[in-house]
Amino acid sequence: MISQQILELFSAFILISAFYVQGQAYFKPAIYAQAIQSILISAIAIYMGFTLASFDYIFLGIAIVVFRSFLITLFLLRGLKEKLGLRESTKGIASELIINLAFFTTASIIIYYLIIEKISLNVEFSNSSILLFSFILLFQGLFLIITRKSTIFQFIGFIEEENSTILFGVLLLPIPFLIEVSIFLDILGLVIVTSILTLEKTEHSTLDELKG
Amino acid sequence: MILVYLLLISPIIANIGFFFSHNKTIIIKILTIVSASITLIISAYLYLVKPTINGFFFINRFTTLFLVMITSIYLLSSIYSINYVRTGTIVSERLYYVLLNLFISSMIFTIIVNNYGLMWVGVELTTVTSALLIATETSEISLEATWRYIIIVSAGVSIALFSIILIYFNYHTLIITEILARPENNTLTKLAVALALVGFGTKVGIFPMYTWLPDAHSEAPSPISALFSGVLLPVALYVLYMVYLINPLTEIFLIFAILSIITTSIILTYQWHIKRMFAYSTIENMNLALIGLIIGEPKASIILLIAHAFGKAGAFYSSGIVIKELGEKKINNINGLYSRLKVTTASLLLSSLAVTGTPPFATFIGEFFILRKLIEEGYIIDLVLLIISLSTAFVSINYNITKMAFTRKEIENRIHKEPVLLSTISLITSIIPLVIGVLLLVWGVSL
Repeated sequence: MISQQILELFSAFILISAFYVQGQAYFKPAIYAQAIQSILISAIAIYMGFTLASFDYIFLGIAIVVFRSFLITLFLLRGLKEKLGLRESTKGIASELIINLAFFTTASIIIYYLIIEKISLNVEFSNSSILLFSFILLFQGLFLIITRKSTIFQFIGFIEEENSTILFGVLLLPIPFLIEVSIFLDILGLVIVTSILTLEKTEHSTLDELKG
Repeated sequence: MILVYLLLISPIIANIGFFFSHNKTIIIKILTIVSASITLIISAYLYLVKPTINGFFFINRFTTLFLVMITSIYLLSSIYSINYVRTGTIVSERLYYVLLNLFISSMIFTIIVNNYGLMWVGVELTTVTSALLIATETSEISLEATWRYIIIVSAGVSIALFSIILIYFNYHTLIITEILARPENNTLTKLAVALALVGFGTKVGIFPMYTWLPDAHSEAPSPISALFSGVLLPVALYVLYMVYLINPLTEIFLIFAILSIITTSIILTYQWHIKRMFAYSTIENMNLALIGLIIGEPKASIILLIAHAFGKAGAFYSSGIVIKELGEKKINNINGLYSRLKVTTASLLLSSLAVTGTPPFATFIGEFFILRKLIEEGYIIDLVLLIISLSTAFVSINYNITKMAFTRKEIENRIHKEPVLLSTISLITSIIPLVIGVLLLVWGVSL
């Protein structure tokens, strides 16, 4: 028997970790928060796996821990080049967080109640309102990408977005194969590619050559 | 079926050339060209034998035209790359060909697979395999363009995964042929298709998520720009169309496509960078092809896409020569091209006429049928907006090209020796849309 309260509790912590990242200027805590967020998602997957007696969910949970929480964290820490206490050269993080909370979270809730709830998705184990968490996480990830300059924060934003699709898939129905493939693709491709780019370019700003 | 597997793995097999000695990049170059030739022959054969393969792969006449398109530009770009690409700090010459071959394989996989989920995987793979190719000519700008490409496209494609999950939730399968056999008009499929418009639309170049496109196209090496513009975007368009067929949301798709064309045509009026100008023209053409597909004129769209693939490849090949020879990419600083690079100027003129839909180029025929269908379907306001935008784009692009070609105020009088292989390839590529157009006019439109 799946307890909706447990799922909601874990999902709420996932959102808190996302907001924590948005409110951070230092790289290291943000990287660790991303790792914790992935662990929480894998905990949901493993919990579902044991409750529904589905090995796919358990495998997915393990894959998330190994790839997201461990390998990506290692790669991001390597990107810091062992500079402890490194801070992103940006201002207005507190105001960004307030905008995020006030605007994007409200927008996610409105979109959810105007569209998703009207569809009345029949989620077997719980009320479909739990899917709201994944939508907020999606918008949060996008907002982080838009608002930050550094490669590391933008990459964390991308991971948050990927986490939101996993959360959505896990809470909606068992579709682990695709999600597993997406995780492998992250590792195979994007992490390798971005690790190469991170070594070359750590910050992103508007360049005149790329205007217009 | 063996031919389909050969089509898919041939570019991968060519990558064994990577393991040969550092000084022998010639081996991987030859293998790449051989692989491109084999895939083109197989694609042409599949087109001629009119296959309908159902199972793990889904290949029909429509698909084979995309295959011919991909493999043709693959062959042309491979040959062009021989004299164009040099080793950079991130991507060596050998690695360039490895990534190129994997990129082609991932595009072929995306359009022949009979599964929406695997199609999504294919689209993600195209991003992974092509990202570093943009950074071949390592510079701060190309690295920034690569990063924007990765982040924006991956973020978009993640939204597309929401769409795929919803499709699976509704049908309990992702097999394309099964889903298209029982289309459903419920709110869930509508949401899935709308999310696909945002998700896959990012890769197709639909408003407002097309911002990565001019950056990536302008900073990639020219043979890669040709592949991006000529075939990668049509591949993403193919995927978007396949999702669209589940529950056609014609009005929403039409609004976004027209908005894309309008904004693009406005930006084209003040475009200053030769390759960015052609990149914006790609957005315009892709959205026009999308309009053709969604209003029920797929034949016109495919004519437009094929002609555009060659025309745009020719445009990028020619601009690649111009940038390399003159060391200049600002339109206002390029002049007297005709007196310096005659063959390249000819190909640049022909290709710009092709991509702007000048008669009798095949792009014109495609555009004409799409616009005619809009009248038949009663989309008069959309038609008027499109005609204004297309005319604006036509004038902007051709004015810039003729200005660069024939303005006589040369800054320097250095004689430029035209690179024979590069200019020949770009001229041949530019002539193809004209030949297709004339053939279509003579023999009538039947694909």
